[in-house]
Amino acid sequence: MKQRMRSDTTTLLALGGIAIAATVLGARKPARAAWSAAPRQTRREAPTHIAAARRFNHSSSLLALSVLADSAVEHYRGSFKNPAMFIPLLSASLSFFAGLHGGRDRRAASHPVRHGIHAFAAMAGIAGTGFHIYNVTKRTGGWSWNNLFYAAPLGAPTALLLSGGLGAIGERLRDQPANEPRLLGMPAGRAMALAVSAGLLGTVGEVGLLHFRGAFQHPAMYAPVIIPPVAATLMVQTALAAPRPRPGTRWWLRLTAALGLLGVGFHARGIARCQGGWRNWSQNIPSGPPLPAPPSFTALALAGLAALRLRQTEK
Amino acid sequence: MNSNAITTRYPGYDVLNKRDTPSWDPITRQVVEERLSMSRQPRFFDLAQWTAATALCTCVVVQPDDRLAVPVAAMLDARLFEDQGDGWRDARLPPLRQAWCIGLAALDAESQGEHGLVFAQLAAARQTALVEQMQCGKLRAAAWQGMPSDLFFSERVLHDLYGAYYAHPAAWSEIGFGGPANPRGYVRLNKNRRDPWEAIEATAENAATVKRKNTRVR
Amino acid sequence: MSGDAVQHPRARGGQAPDVFRKGGWVSMREYPCDEEVDFVIVGTGAGGATLACRLAEQGFKVVALDAGAWWRPLEEFASDEAHQQKLYWTDQRICDGDNPLKMGSNNSGKAVGGSTVHFAMVSLRFRPEWFKCRSLLGYGADWPIDWREMWRYYDEVEQALSIAGPITYPWGPPRKRYPYRSHELNAAALVLARGAEAMGTAWSATPLATVSAPHGKSPPCVYRGFCVAGCATNAKQSALVTWIPRALKAGAEIRDLAMAGRIETNDLGRAVGVEYFRDGAWRFQRARNVVVAGYAIETPRLLLLSANHRFPDGLANSSGLVGKNLMVQSNQAVWGVMDEEIRSYKGPPSLSISEHWNYQDKGKDFFGGYAYMSQGPLPVGWASTQNGRGLWGAKLSREMQKYNHQAGLKIVGETLPQERNRVTLADEKDQYGLPVARITYGFCDNDKKLIAHALHFMEQALEAAGGKEIWRQEDDTCHLNGTARMGDDPRTSVVNADCRSWDIPNLWICDGSVFPTIGGVNPSLTIQAIACRTADRIRALAQRGEL
Repeated sequence: MKQRMRSDTTTLLALGGIAIAATVLGARKPARAAWSAAPRQTRREAPTHIAAARRFNHSSSLLALSVLADSAVEHYRGSFKNPAMFIPLLSASLSFFAGLHGGRDRRAASHPVRHGIHAFAAMAGIAGTGFHIYNVTKRTGGWSWNNLFYAAPLGAPTALLLSGGLGAIGERLRDQPANEPRLLGMPAGRAMALAVSAGLLGTVGEVGLLHFRGAFQHPAMYAPVIIPPVAATLMVQTALAAPRPRPGTRWWLRLTAALGLLGVGFHARGIARCQGGWRNWSQNIPSGPPLPAPPSFTALALAGLAALRLRQTEK
Repeated sequence: MNSNAITTRYPGYDVLNKRDTPSWDPITRQVVEERLSMSRQPRFFDLAQWTAATALCTCVVVQPDDRLAVPVAAMLDARLFEDQGDGWRDARLPPLRQAWCIGLAALDAESQGEHGLVFAQLAAARQTALVEQMQCGKLRAAAWQGMPSDLFFSERVLHDLYGAYYAHPAAWSEIGFGGPANPRGYVRLNKNRRDPWEAIEATAENAATVKRKNTRVR
Repeated sequence: MSGDAVQHPRARGGQAPDVFRKGGWVSMREYPCDEEVDFVIVGTGAGGATLACRLAEQGFKVVALDAGAWWRPLEEFASDEAHQQKLYWTDQRICDGDNPLKMGSNNSGKAVGGSTVHFAMVSLRFRPEWFKCRSLLGYGADWPIDWREMWRYYDEVEQALSIAGPITYPWGPPRKRYPYRSHELNAAALVLARGAEAMGTAWSATPLATVSAPHGKSPPCVYRGFCVAGCATNAKQSALVTWIPRALKAGAEIRDLAMAGRIETNDLGRAVGVEYFRDGAWRFQRARNVVVAGYAIETPRLLLLSANHRFPDGLANSSGLVGKNLMVQSNQAVWGVMDEEIRSYKGPPSLSISEHWNYQDKGKDFFGGYAYMSQGPLPVGWASTQNGRGLWGAKLSREMQKYNHQAGLKIVGETLPQERNRVTLADEKDQYGLPVARITYGFCDNDKKLIAHALHFMEQALEAAGGKEIWRQEDDTCHLNGTARMGDDPRTSVVNADCRSWDIPNLWICDGSVFPTIGGVNPSLTIQAIACRTADRIRALAQRGEL
């Protein structure tokens, strides 16, 4: 037991170290950009890429909120047995506020603290995935379906990584010129569309697994494994094909965004259907369908809409 | 039997504290309430039988002395009064009521024969010795009317007394059982995990802290 | 309110209790007693309820009788072991033989839905070879049914009960995917898993008839652990919440608190109906066909009680086998104390299973097989298990303090059919004035060798999983089968493959009594599969005018 405690503490320290390192690293480049000296853009003349960056910040924020609530419930269910289980709460809280802050920030320069927070979230997401993989493999049965269903969910920390990723893209984009901004060596709109597509597909994987666990007992449970993959495909098309107006893609992304909100409604109804309903909340919130999970799709779809707009301005 | 008294691993825990939480539904509250408010006066046993039964219960079912004893004899009497059988009996035993009447009378007869006193008048150690003989089937006085005393002990005494005792909330608390669980069941199923509405197990070192925490479990 | 259900019949006046709503009712078709219905079925458990549902859905006029009460689980099933004994068959029975059986709790039910209302929901298929175990494995008796046909009916029942099972089941030929995913494993189930892995044998989540996600009006299981005291959640897919509501919808009438006492036959030697006691009086329901589905004690009892001048040894008894070949399943266990907290009262009692010794024939010095499962006893049951070791007083109290740390492995073991194990009528009478059943039972040497093998193996497994203070529980049995076996030959069986009696063509037996052998798995899924098959066979026979 004592040994267990020590390893937990080590873990916590290690993760904290990563977080600080990430913050410092993330802060270095933007420091050179002298963000504080950047002229404030007025609403009227806000360039497209800043608008896109702000939307990404918002998406990152919404995703962080989803992670915050989801990991709070899930890790409460896990009795916070390992102190590292507090990290996603901390990281997602920071990301949430960073995203909100970024969403209000019209300046054409990244913010070192925000950037650091997003980097921290991304790192925490990666570390969390590692932890969850470890949790699955150490259980009796190892890589069994039962452990994939009921041990630490493998895909969940990825949402934190995504939140960090969207936020970081938002920050990096601000450092780009208004004309032909680029990310990851390609036009920014294309990069963002691809990122959103990857995020959607990852999230679909997680939803697919959990809805399979629920035996797709309700027809609506198929919606999040049908609608978002189409959105992801459309985002790939948006990224790879020549830029042009894509009203169909826009509507499909709006549908995906609405799906995330509708999902909360369905999950709320699912909780009500459990024995004891909402009155038995202390059991049914942790054990029933996860209320905060579906808005991930909303966040990603909103990011997708931002990417789409930016992409349309590209050549 | 106080020297043998058991200390619970779950100090301060009382399943009845959960009575008004989602762990208890109306039917369970009603059923347990009826059990708790059961009359402690015999309705089936006559005085001699009641005296013997009470002594036998005290001898067989050890209870902690820091709380009100579970009225095992009264619960047995209620069962006999209602003639609530199990649905079967070993062919060597007479029906439920008859078995108890014979068994208690035989116990007194054995006790009279050996010590000149009825069972209830014996010192605890002698009572225990007699019960141990019954368990081994060594009691064979005519008063048994051919009923094997070991079978009476295993199929009636143990079955009926412990069936009554462990149906009582005090016994549930004592062993750290979660108790009634509807509509709220359980969330955390893995080893060493407990829901906030489950008893905390104490060690010798942390008993006081755990006792305080357990009084808040509900 | 709960006393009411056992005092006055509820299914009357065109309505029956709605098991999904507190105080609710659903409409029910009713038939007058003097109308000759197509089928009167005695018993509404795994066999009777399934058959009533399937026959009614095929358009037959069906009346089913049950001696027990019609409960509404949501408001009448307390979280209380003692109170819930109201679900058991507690009418008197007398047990003798070398190993007198303990009845009541884990082998008989008295309620609409039968013992499925308090069964442990373990839903397993027979090993295919068992249907030909005389020819292929050298013991017992062959079934007159091919396993491939049974496999189809298992599929049907698993779908109907939304069985929650693993994605891949480690033993036996491929099967369709279970409709629902297996439940999370509790600590007790993981003890079995660790032990099996240490022994190098396979293990699995147990296929269970309790839903892991909502289904219809059933919410998912809340892991309250009172499964064998009746499910107050309705997550358990008992006959009470599955086949019976379907049967009502299809136009069957089900009469609660209706104790059958006698099947009447006419001069032609055909059954004409059933005499039953309900609401203070003996009544008679006329029928073209009579189905007995009272399980392995009440079924032979009713057949023997119905003896008349034409059938002096009881109905369907020209083979002399009615009541004989009673088979229980051995239910021995090893128990140990774990360092960690197990708290096995949470969740269904048997979440994990090993069927290794059902499918492995090497290394056995006995015929037959056994499965073993993780356990989750509640306090009264656990105290009784400890009493079985002879513990009482302070010793018992000290053992009971380890309740939350104990884990156990328990078998469902095959026993061989023996004619000396049987159900007969005693002189003693029950509350209806009917002679009670005398149940004679003793293990044979093969049964004892199987038990010894199982205890030895499980002891090693439990120790490998970290169990300490390991001890053996040697005195338990579960389930009841045989006593009206099916077969190909009227001289050596009571019914044919269609569950139709050889002697009286319109008398059918449809429950666990018809099993020629019992196998090493819980029988409920097989009983229901046979009932579905019987329903299909009846339709086919009716279409050919052979009913």
